[in-house]
Order: sequence, then structure tokens, then C-alpha cells
Amino acid sequence: MPAPSASLGGASTDRRPRRAARILWPLGLAVAAAPFFMASPFYVHLAILTCLNVVIVSGLSLIARTGQLSFGHGAFVGLGAYGAVVTGMHLGWPFWLAALTGAAIACLCALVLGWVILRLRGVYFVLVTFAFAELVRLVLLDWPGITGGANGITGIPAAELFGFAFDTRHRFYGLALFCAIAALAFGLRLSRVPAGHAFDAVEQNAALAEASGLNVHRIQVRAFVIGCGIAGFAGALLAHYVGFVSPESFNLSLSISAIVMLVIGGRHSVWGPLIGALILTPLPELFRAAVNTQHIFYGAALILILRFLPDGLASLPARLRRPREGG
Amino acid sequence: MDFLLLLGQALVNGLVVGMLYLLMAVGFTLVFGVMRVVNFAHAEFYMLGAFGAFLLVTRLEVPFLASVLITFALAVCLGWLVEWLVLKPFRHDELNGMIATIGLAMILQNGALMVFGPDPQSMPAVVRGVTFVGDLVIPNSRLYVVMFSLAVLAALYVFLRHSRTGRSLRAVVEDLEIASAYGIRARLVYPLGFGIGVGLAAIAGALMAPLFSVSPFIGTAPMLKAFIVVIVGGLGSIPGAALAGLMLGIAESLAGTFLSSSTAEILIFALVIAMLVVRPSGLLGRPD
Repeated sequence: MPAPSASLGGASTDRRPRRAARILWPLGLAVAAAPFFMASPFYVHLAILTCLNVVIVSGLSLIARTGQLSFGHGAFVGLGAYGAVVTGMHLGWPFWLAALTGAAIACLCALVLGWVILRLRGVYFVLVTFAFAELVRLVLLDWPGITGGANGITGIPAAELFGFAFDTRHRFYGLALFCAIAALAFGLRLSRVPAGHAFDAVEQNAALAEASGLNVHRIQVRAFVIGCGIAGFAGALLAHYVGFVSPESFNLSLSISAIVMLVIGGRHSVWGPLIGALILTPLPELFRAAVNTQHIFYGAALILILRFLPDGLASLPARLRRPREGG
Repeated sequence: MDFLLLLGQALVNGLVVGMLYLLMAVGFTLVFGVMRVVNFAHAEFYMLGAFGAFLLVTRLEVPFLASVLITFALAVCLGWLVEWLVLKPFRHDELNGMIATIGLAMILQNGALMVFGPDPQSMPAVVRGVTFVGDLVIPNSRLYVVMFSLAVLAALYVFLRHSRTGRSLRAVVEDLEIASAYGIRARLVYPLGFGIGVGLAAIAGALMAPLFSVSPFIGTAPMLKAFIVVIVGGLGSIPGAALAGLMLGIAESLAGTFLSSSTAEILIFALVIAMLVVRPSGLLGRPD
């Protein structure tokens, strides 16, 4: 079986994907631009959340590309959000500096944690990231002087860059869209440079990668730190968009929804985070009345996708094409 | 004298909580040992166990003891069914199996939410009154939990040590290939292992139902503790889980008595990390 990872992300010489790309690019641009012309604040809100989810899941996808699944991704989003809000509001730092500080805090925590636990088998990584997320929630709750405790922090000002305030939904959508595209471009770029190939090598066969002279531990720590940094940055954006943070905004359900998006979108494709976020962000908002049925449906979809399409929806075109080519 | 009393009381409370962790963690580690899959739906079986006992006692007026046993039997059957329907393709596939159990947990939790509603419900106490041991006060309801847990663990021990099925289960945990070569039918052992594992979670839930309230969300906290216990005790090691479960319960209770409970949580997490650095395979686990 050929590795399906190259089917969408990699440079393929097959003409069919080229033709598909000719249709997909303008379509993608049109979809991305549409929210600018939408009057309904609700749809623009959904578009913003989708973009932020693309960023968050991109970070997770980077970690997953080295074969590790983080169960504390939501906590790193939270660390970035709180880091940015606290430095921005208490110390009066400008938005860009505060957001970068938030991301840096997430990176630092990931570095310390990753250095210790990435030496262990994947299962321990999952369990410890899960426990770490719980710890972050407790610390945020237990430090009311700085984090506002269970009440969280309200009245976070809108993001502002060089005197331009992203204070309307349309303006913020521009910022979120830029970040989502940047995150995807980063993933795409990474799939074409040696550093990214090293990530994939570690995922596919860690022992072989180590034997080929790659430092598996260092590569996994690097992916974890970058992925968590991206999550932290997305958290800073989210906090300045919503205007409110509380420990419960970044609980386990955020980590799990990121995993669900990644798996349903496709773990081994650069486009997985985009597809997952695009499909799974609007659904719960549109079906708010039936939120429980929604989750049951998600759970079932997750199991079915794992069973029949383990590389997610991103692998669907290749999967559909293969029988015809084989025959 | 007061200090000693406080210490003794904290130890007793820790023992009760430790029993809960122990039951959760033993089931969890058994499932992992057999299937090599981290079962994120473990929490939901704890929750279902609590609801099972709650419904049997309040609606059908079954005696508590019988309701716990019925709940266990139902949970084993449900676990067997779930393993066969959902998890079969993911045996020994650590990552995908684990994600599949997340899907399972979502289905079970939200299913319970739809059927039972989100509000916590309380169950009548099984026994009342307290027992004095010297100056120590032990509520009878807690004593009951400890006795029952001990009985369950003893039964589990006998089952795993001396019954043919239990021995084949342990053989699969040790080494699947060699066990198969000796004629153990793994296709029966998998659903059985999963069923017994989640059955233990259901017993823990059923035992705790009269002490705490019952709601679709109660499973998460004990599962987190089970995670910590298996990390400390060694993943897949049942004696390790037993030892670490009691230790965690006592450590938490002591730290919660003398420090604030959130400080205690933070300290315990630090301890877990330290454990992973010093001895990654856990107290009684085997190195990979």
C-alpha cells in the first residue's frame, strides 16, 4: 500500500489533482472571501471560529505528525490566552507582543513537559497530557489574583495592530483568516522541507528514523513545542475576539474537539485541519437545539471514520480514485 | 493527641478514596493489559454503573447489594458487546483504539444525558450511623464501601489466579503470541477482558452512588485519578495499580487535610512527573 500522505499535500505529477486544484483554488478563495460580504453577524462569527479552529488543529496536527496525540491541546490554547490577556491587561503590553508572549508561555510549558514525557511510550504521553490539562485548569482556578479564578477575566479589549483595531467582526475575520492561511501555509511548507520529512519519518517508524541518524526525541519535542506555540497563539486571538476567558473555556472538551476535527479531517494530510475545522465548527452551532444528538453523531462518525477511512476525509479523493486506477 | 487523631482520620478517609481509585485503576489497567488500548470510555462505565445502582434501588427497589451485582453483570455484557461491535478492529492498535474509545465515551455520555438529564440526583444512603475505632469516626456507609471493594478484589484475585479463564486472561496480558500458541482463544479473551475491566468501573460507580450524587458527568474525575494511578503503578500491572491506588488516596487525603486541596493536586502531579523521570515503567511495571 502506498502512503496516502502525499496524495493531497505532496507535489504530485498526476494530472487529475492539477485539474481539481484549478477548481478548488478559486472555490476556496470565494469561500474565504464570502464572510467579508455577509451581513449576518452569526455567520461571520462562525467563519471566525472556523479560522481559529484551523489554527488550533494545525498545531495539533504538527504534533500528530511525529506520532504523538496530545490530550492537553486545549490547555495550551488556554495558557496562550491567559498569557496574552494577563500581560496585555496587567502590564499594558501591545496586542502583538502580548499574543507572542502567550504563545511563548505555551512553548515554554511544552518544552519542559515534552522534554520529560516524550522519552516515554505514546500511551504515557496521552495520559500525562490529559493530567497536565487538568493541572492547568486547577492552577488557573486557584490563582484568582492574576487569573480571576473561576470568574475568569472579562472586558478584554479588541486586538489592535499598529493603531488599527480589529473591533468589528469583519475586521477580526480578516485577522483570523490571515492566521489560518499562515498556519496552513506553514504546514504545507513543512511537508516539503527536510525538517518536515523528518517528522513523517518519526511517525512512520521511530526506530528506523533513529537508526538513520535522526534524533527522534529532539524532533518530537520540537514538534510538540511548535504545535503548542501555535495553539497558544490561537488562544491569544480567541481571547481578544471573545473578550472573556475562564478556566472552563479551555477544558477537556476543547482538547477532544480538536482531536475529533483532526481525525475526521485527516491526520496525515496538510489539509486535514482545514477540512475538519470547516466541517465540524459550524455543525454544533447550527444544531444548537439538538446538542446531545450532535455529540452522539460525532462519536459515531469518529468510530466509523477510524474504521473505514483512517486517514480522514482528506484521503477520500485518493481513496475514490484508487479503484479506477487499479482496474 | 489532636494531631494524631487528625492523621488517623485522614488515613481512614484516604483508604476509602483509595479503594475507589483502586477499583477504577485495576479495571483500566486490565483493559490496557489485554488490548493495549487506553480506554477513555472507562469513565462512562463508572457513570453507567452509578446510574444502574441508582435506578435499581430507587425505581425497582432491589436491595443495594443485589443491585451492585446486577449492575456488574450488565456492565460485563455491555462491555463484551461494545468490544465486539466497536473495538474489534482496533485491538493492539494503541492510537486508533484510543480515539475510538473517545467516540464511544461521547456516545455513552450524551446518551446518558438524553435519557437521565443533566441534573445530579442523590440516592438514599445504604447504611446509616458511624463506627468508632478508638477515637476515630468511620461512617458506616464508607466502611461498607471498603468491605465490598475488598470482597470484589479478593474475588478478582481468585478468578485471575485460580480459574482457567482468569489464567488465560493473564497469559494474554503477558504475551499474546505465546498464549495463542498454547491454545488460548484470544477472540474470547478480548471481549472478556474488556467486559471485566469496565465491569470493575461499573462496580466502583455503583458503590460510590450512595456516597456522592449521580449525574452523567461524574466519571471524569475518577478516570483522571485512574490515569495517575496507572502511571505511578505501571501501565498493565494489576498489583502496581492496587499499590498506587491506595497510595494516591492516602496521599491526597493527607495533603488535603494539611494543605489546601488544590495544592495537593498540584503536588501529586509534580510527583507523577518525578516518577516518570526516575522510573518510567512505574512502581511495579515492567520496563518496555
